[in-house]
Amino acid sequence: MSEPTHFDAARQARRITEQAVAWYIEQQEPLSERQRVAFLAWLRTSPQHVAEYFAVARMHGDLKTAAAFETLSAEALAEQARRDNPVVMFPLMGQAMPKEREPKSTKSARAKRLLVAFVGAAATVAVAWLGMMHWRTADGIPQQHYAQSYTGDVDKVRSLKLADGTLVQLDRNSAIDVHFDNRYRRVDVIHGHALFDVGKDAARPMLVNVGGHVLQDIGTVFDVKREASGDILTVISGRVRVLNGTNASPLGSDALADLTAGQQIEWGSAGIGQVHPVQIPQAIAWLPDEIRFQRETVADVARRFNAYTSKPLVIEDEGIAGKRISGMFHANNPQAFVAYLSTLPHVKVVEAADRIRVVALR
Amino acid sequence: MREKHAWSTLFAEKRATLSNYFLRRVAHRWDAQDLVQEVYLRLLRIEPADAANIRSPEAYLFTVAANLVKEHAVLRQHQPLGSDELEQVVEHLVAPANVEADMDSESRQQRLGALIDRLSPKCKAVLIMHYRDELTYREIAERMSISTHMVKKYIVKGLAACRQRMAEYE
Repeated sequence: MSEPTHFDAARQARRITEQAVAWYIEQQEPLSERQRVAFLAWLRTSPQHVAEYFAVARMHGDLKTAAAFETLSAEALAEQARRDNPVVMFPLMGQAMPKEREPKSTKSARAKRLLVAFVGAAATVAVAWLGMMHWRTADGIPQQHYAQSYTGDVDKVRSLKLADGTLVQLDRNSAIDVHFDNRYRRVDVIHGHALFDVGKDAARPMLVNVGGHVLQDIGTVFDVKREASGDILTVISGRVRVLNGTNASPLGSDALADLTAGQQIEWGSAGIGQVHPVQIPQAIAWLPDEIRFQRETVADVARRFNAYTSKPLVIEDEGIAGKRISGMFHANNPQAFVAYLSTLPHVKVVEAADRIRVVALR
Repeated sequence: MREKHAWSTLFAEKRATLSNYFLRRVAHRWDAQDLVQEVYLRLLRIEPADAANIRSPEAYLFTVAANLVKEHAVLRQHQPLGSDELEQVVEHLVAPANVEADMDSESRQQRLGALIDRLSPKCKAVLIMHYRDELTYREIAERMSISTHMVKKYIVKGLAACRQRMAEYE
């Protein structure tokens, strides 16, 4: 038997933890006979399972006390959770996206239509709408508007870095529109194939519009393909939520789909398909095989590798992240890049369950 | 095991307390790894026919462990814990731990609190409502405007994330 790598071991440990927790929670109701057999079989699989089950039981005993440290009320927490997913969706969001060229009168007419659409909607929706008006009219507040259209190169995949740090790989004959303001980062995929590595900006969610479906990212790398036959979304790492951009009250409705790493969904005129697992190498076969970089920062190069893997590289030390390097690596071999990083002075690589951390050696 | 039935009932009633006592106390007296190994070996020895008759595998698991701890205590301390008197064993198990264990448990609880705080707002809200406010899945589902199925999913997800990060400390 070959020695399992750190990667495998960490992934294995995480899976055992998830199973142990799921079994522990399952016991709150009496188990069915089938479940009893399955649980016993699970315990008997490995002493690691037994140990983890005990560990979960022990942690569970501390939960009540630990949870009591929280001072916010349940209402405040629920409100916070609502704001976490600021699905501030507007009817026909695609069209509701502000356009710079739009004359003022049209704007107010649209605002009225929005107002009509929201009469009778839930209070939370009204708040969202008010927020939007504020954003449209708050002239006193400095606006960080940023609007730009991009088209792909003729002969090769184009790499872009947007104002917020988002990295985009744009395929040949592809086009996206980008519009950022103080509240949202919106991207329209007009046609073609694009891969997004979304920059971190907790205050401004990223909303990507794909033919009436809006993708909301949560710290993520994902791939969008628009073809005549339909649209395909593939999540490489992190999570993406698909919302109905045409829903009159999307806030009250659930997400059309939630995708995590290694999942794909398709939709076309016939409707939206099922979320299904996908082989990531297959989904990103259009990306170049090589990653070449000339005096780019370690952080940016690392993120380019992250387009190819569900286990992202995270450069935690600012000093290392800002360091400029040049070179060329095979894109499917992030390990080689990690090995290279670990040869840099004062750099330490830590394999975590869901990421590879690059930290400063103290 | 003669005591099995009684233990099962007891565990059903005092599940949280007893499972909590578990490694917290034991770890200070007996290498927890040894205990796990021993429990595991006993699980393997269960005959298939008997396996089907175990009403609650979890209670069985803790019973085996509790008995091992008891046997071990007998060996170690030459001080039987009132062999047959279940109540006495339980009393012993839930009695205040030594100071060292208490300190340890306190810092662990604080660490866990900090980890809960760092969960996604949805996960965190669900966990706090369930464990602090003792709301049922249904009550949480109503407040959060999500399904009870999702509430359970958030709880499992939150606990797994906490446990993973706790494991990094251990």
